[in-house]
Amino acid sequence: MGRILIVDDTLFMRTLLKNILFSGGHTIVGEAENGEEAIAKYQELKPDLVTMDVVMPKMNGIDALKNIRAADPNAKVVMCTAVGQEQMVKLAVKSGAKGYIVKPFQAPKVLEEVKNVLGA
Amino acid sequence: MSDMEEYRGLFVTESRENLDTISQALLTLEECEDRETIDEIFRSAHTIKGASASMGYLKLEKICHSMEDVFDLIRNEKLKVSAPLTDLFLACTDQIDDILDIIEDGGDDSGCSIDDLVSSLESWAHGEEGGDATSTGDKTGDDSAEEASAEDVPSQTGPGDTYVVGIDLAPECSMKDVRAMIVLSNLEEIGRIVSTKPSREEIESGKIEAHFEVTVQSEAGVDALRAASSGTEIASVTVTVGNESPRPAPKPRQKVEEAPPKSDHHDRPREIKNIRVDIHLLDQMMNLVEDLVINRGRLKQIAQKNQIKEFDEALNMVGRSVADLQNLMMHIRMIPLDHIFNRLPRVVRDVAQHDHKDVEFIIEGGDTELDRSVMDGLNDPLLHLIRNAVDHGVESPEERKAAGKSEKGLVRLSARRDRDNVVIRIEDDGAGVNYDKVRQKAVSRGLYTAEEAATLTDDQVIEVLFNPGFSTADTITDISGRGVGLDVVRSAIEALKGSIKVESVRGKGTCFELVLPPTMAIVEVMMIRINGKRCAIPISNVVEVAMLKNDGVHRVGNSRVILLRDEVLPLYTLDDMFGTSRSGEVLVVLQYRSKKCGIVADVVEGQQEVVVKPLSALVGSCPGVGGVTIPGDGEVVPVLDVNTIV
Repeated sequence: MGRILIVDDTLFMRTLLKNILFSGGHTIVGEAENGEEAIAKYQELKPDLVTMDVVMPKMNGIDALKNIRAADPNAKVVMCTAVGQEQMVKLAVKSGAKGYIVKPFQAPKVLEEVKNVLGA
Repeated sequence: MSDMEEYRGLFVTESRENLDTISQALLTLEECEDRETIDEIFRSAHTIKGASASMGYLKLEKICHSMEDVFDLIRNEKLKVSAPLTDLFLACTDQIDDILDIIEDGGDDSGCSIDDLVSSLESWAHGEEGGDATSTGDKTGDDSAEEASAEDVPSQTGPGDTYVVGIDLAPECSMKDVRAMIVLSNLEEIGRIVSTKPSREEIESGKIEAHFEVTVQSEAGVDALRAASSGTEIASVTVTVGNESPRPAPKPRQKVEEAPPKSDHHDRPREIKNIRVDIHLLDQMMNLVEDLVINRGRLKQIAQKNQIKEFDEALNMVGRSVADLQNLMMHIRMIPLDHIFNRLPRVVRDVAQHDHKDVEFIIEGGDTELDRSVMDGLNDPLLHLIRNAVDHGVESPEERKAAGKSEKGLVRLSARRDRDNVVIRIEDDGAGVNYDKVRQKAVSRGLYTAEEAATLTDDQVIEVLFNPGFSTADTITDISGRGVGLDVVRSAIEALKGSIKVESVRGKGTCFELVLPPTMAIVEVMMIRINGKRCAIPISNVVEVAMLKNDGVHRVGNSRVILLRDEVLPLYTLDDMFGTSRSGEVLVVLQYRSKKCGIVADVVEGQQEVVVKPLSALVGSCPGVGGVTIPGDGEVVPVLDVNTIV
């Protein structure tokens, strides 16, 4: 299964996501709290997939996504989003996001999306 | 939601942090409306919302969502921040705080009523939005979306066959447009999209049902197209070979460098370099360290008794580590006063608004550190004193004008380190204590006769203020209560082994000064022996030590008193605690508040810092003893509670 980098500014969401992904047999190779950290961690860890929150301090998820995709055009990034953020997600998809998961997270959906994106 | 139980604590802690950020930012916003602060509130509300939804706290989610909506308008400059709006937001933060309390105690938010707040928020959100049907978020999103998409559209026609891909989205798919866009973007990687049905613009603006079709030109073949189109929430994919001749790309669009919303500002750094530790764990650890100190003392004695030099040396090394550990533990338990200071601007604001006063509130020295246990006990007294300063201290703008002062009152809260103590001052530039009024009140309450009251010095008048239930306020307000307070404040401060002092100049203002020990766990004591037994007295209660001369001791009724420099002090021997002291020749004078007394001791052994442990429930309450300490030699020594002795 995949090596995954989790990006979210809250410990709560990271923990939740970590447990879901872990239960799906994935390896969590790292966590980042903001966009800047995400870019640095991506370079360092070269994960198979990144789950990226949209609203974060320092650098938001869209900018981080753009940066990561600029450095690695094959980067697989799944956006974590909430209902009401469709526009942001669309922007993310145009910037190269490979998928999205909707908060509140439902474990089967999260795992399915991650599997599909990893398999694509 | 039982599987969410394990996240409850984390959820509450983190949401509280965000809530604090919101309340603080709201107050900042009243001063000046800057984008970073607005973004910060938006982000924090958003975070709480997301976490609440995950935990299944729907009402909490709803209220945060409504706040977010209104702040989105503010962020897009469609709505101005005003005082009533800030009030509404603060009311919301209060409500959220309450809900978090309930959740922390194991409940959920289903019993909470949030409808009023939500409908108020909604009326703000809609009232200002006007005819603009779609929210501003949609607009900016659309603009940037179109521009950004230009990058994805290849400008030249590519080789390969043309296929028509029909895709059915799963009914449960929550963002059909986004899902469709992902499919388009995946198809684009292996081919060139000739056209879509509905059109790409319609898909991107959300006008899409469960089914859509893409005409794509690709060399990759049917299977690759099918694979690229399938994915999460895709119910079915059909790929047919199309006959359409290749057409030029739908329409060329100009390419614009688009900065997404809120990217060009620098967020306030919010790096967290700390870990969260349950305070009970720290307390336990502290206890263990203390035990270690005691046992080291015992080991040392054994080493000395048996004259094992090697053992002694090794023990010295251990001793150093233990001392370092103890210091470190002390340091870890210290937290900056900002923790409780940060809530006070809100209090000042609320009280000032309630009283129609204009008050400037200055905080200084919030970085001064205090032990957590002291901090806990300080919150309420401080809150009370601050309310007092605004409510009773600062006058109304009219009175201030009449007195020739600026209409804006000033309340200053400052903290600083003074040698081993922390000094906190609460100053206001209000009317000050009306000494004559206090005297009158004291007489009318029967505390003093009119003659006595007239001779009271100013300091004694201040002392009257600390009488239980004493208030000079003519009207009882629901804010500062009924003057039930200063006596409670004083007891609270004294329980922390601190002291409180008041200075007041009529017409100029009042200043409360709190002197607190940085920690409660370690107390400086004087070690004395009574009847050969050791006991410790907190040094703050010791006034002086003198030789006991028998000719100074007099009997008054059943009790003995001693005349010391023209002062008559009751003399206690503490026989019932330690047995009669045969060689009692030292007089130790103790003081609690203004009361003094003398006790007889054999000898004063010296001063030292000790860790005072409370008496366990097994021993029960033991009048006169405030706790026990175990100095290095392992002996258990009682620490006198001077309050009950006096």
